[in-house]
Amino acid sequence: MRRRFALLLTTVIALGTASLAGLQPAPAPPSGDVADILVSRQLLESQDLAVGDLIELAADPDGARARAFRVVGSYEPLPDPARFTQQRLEVRLHLQDMVDMLADPTDPQSSESVSAINVALHDPEGELEFRRSVFGRVPGLSVWSTVRGDSANPFVVLEQFHLAIAIVTILASTAFLLALMVMRSDERRETAGILRLIGLRKGRVLTQVLIEGVIIAMVGAMFGIGLALVAQDGFNQFFQWRYDTALVFVRVSPKVAAQCVALAVPLGVVASVVASWTLLRREVLALLRR
Amino acid sequence: MSAAVIEATGLTKTFPMPAGPVTALRNVSFSVSPDEYVAVSGPSGCGKSTLLHLLGSVDTATSGTLLFDGRDISTLPDAERSRIRLTQIGFVFQRFYLLPMLTAWENVELPQGEAGVSKPERRARTAELLDYVGLSQRAQHRPSQLSGGEMQRVAIARALANSPRLLLADEPTGELDQSTGEQIAELLDRVHADGNAIVVVTHDPAIAARAKRQLKMRDGEIVAGAPA
Repeated sequence: MRRRFALLLTTVIALGTASLAGLQPAPAPPSGDVADILVSRQLLESQDLAVGDLIELAADPDGARARAFRVVGSYEPLPDPARFTQQRLEVRLHLQDMVDMLADPTDPQSSESVSAINVALHDPEGELEFRRSVFGRVPGLSVWSTVRGDSANPFVVLEQFHLAIAIVTILASTAFLLALMVMRSDERRETAGILRLIGLRKGRVLTQVLIEGVIIAMVGAMFGIGLALVAQDGFNQFFQWRYDTALVFVRVSPKVAAQCVALAVPLGVVASVVASWTLLRREVLALLRR
Repeated sequence: MSAAVIEATGLTKTFPMPAGPVTALRNVSFSVSPDEYVAVSGPSGCGKSTLLHLLGSVDTATSGTLLFDGRDISTLPDAERSRIRLTQIGFVFQRFYLLPMLTAWENVELPQGEAGVSKPERRARTAELLDYVGLSQRAQHRPSQLSGGEMQRVAIARALANSPRLLLADEPTGELDQSTGEQIAELLDRVHADGNAIVVVTHDPAIAARAKRQLKMRDGEIVAGAPA
């Protein structure tokens, strides 16, 4: 089976990854050795490819100077939160194959020169020093950092946005919980009155309410975490299907679960105690009065 | 006559109301000795229940003193008054006030547990009391599964749980038919005969007639029966 792809090179990374667009009728097989290539799972599925198939890639959208490759396997592209809506129609080829394919036949130096190099620093803090050093050695070479500050990083901004939503949700839930607990306490007004009537101290009744509040809050928190775990799977499965990606959209980590418990239990207990205290501060007869 | 279980002197209770203070009790003085059965009667609103609430330390007087076993309880903090209610005073109310989620057995056992009675003693005492009020067979029933008379008998058993020195009853037959009320009155007679001091507030002349001493109230004052 032979296919020919017009290659639109938009991204180049370590081993050479090319994004592809367009499928054209396959021409006659090229002469000489056929290079190996890996294709992304999405490309494999969308073009109905199989291991062993021959495909043609070209840097030119018109398919000029196409080269043949043999599909030797597929891979799952590294999930990228910044690109999850893009269809990952990609290939991985050997760097030399890519250089050859991109070389300009009219310029013999084209395969010997690069217009840009990405450099990863072991110590990102040394970025300024590195820039000065490079600029000092090769005047005229532009050096800039691709690292974004927190204010420009969409994920940091997104996290802050989530934090704001979480705070508002917690405040609203606390008010709702308090209202529920007050109603629940009021339903037990007579019970509290009877307990006080037969001689139980306020502190004793409050302790009982406190223990009850802790248990309810713990059970509630566990239920919430269980619900989040179930929802997490459903949510991930849906969006992974929707965007055809292996990206994990939601993860209930132990830290997140611990934070939930650490917030929910004290809030539940405080809501129980505040609600109960509104009852217990009343006189016994006021509690028993209809 | 032995020393009084409870002795009220000049008890006055005034309730602040939006339309002005209302005095429910005026300068009431009387005492109850350990073997007495006292009935308090009078028209509605005369202050009977207010008096009972003060005697049971569920409310505090505006002025006057209230001695329980010679100790002034009118000025005690809430926790100590609660302790007295738990161990020294038993209550029986018209509306029973049983805990609906507990069985008859648990209702009777609860005050003993709170008073620190050991589990074997609690079991023995609860069984004895339910037998005393004739409800051994209904021990595992909840209040909703009992008749009015049975609920009142459980309430009496609970009131006696910690062997109080004084039993206070507020219209104990008020929600019962005549026959059942009669049975409850007989049970109270038996409680008294077994050596308990009782103060019962009632509209029912037949119940009041069973008491050894009758106090009549009107407009917040005792108008007949109080000792000179």
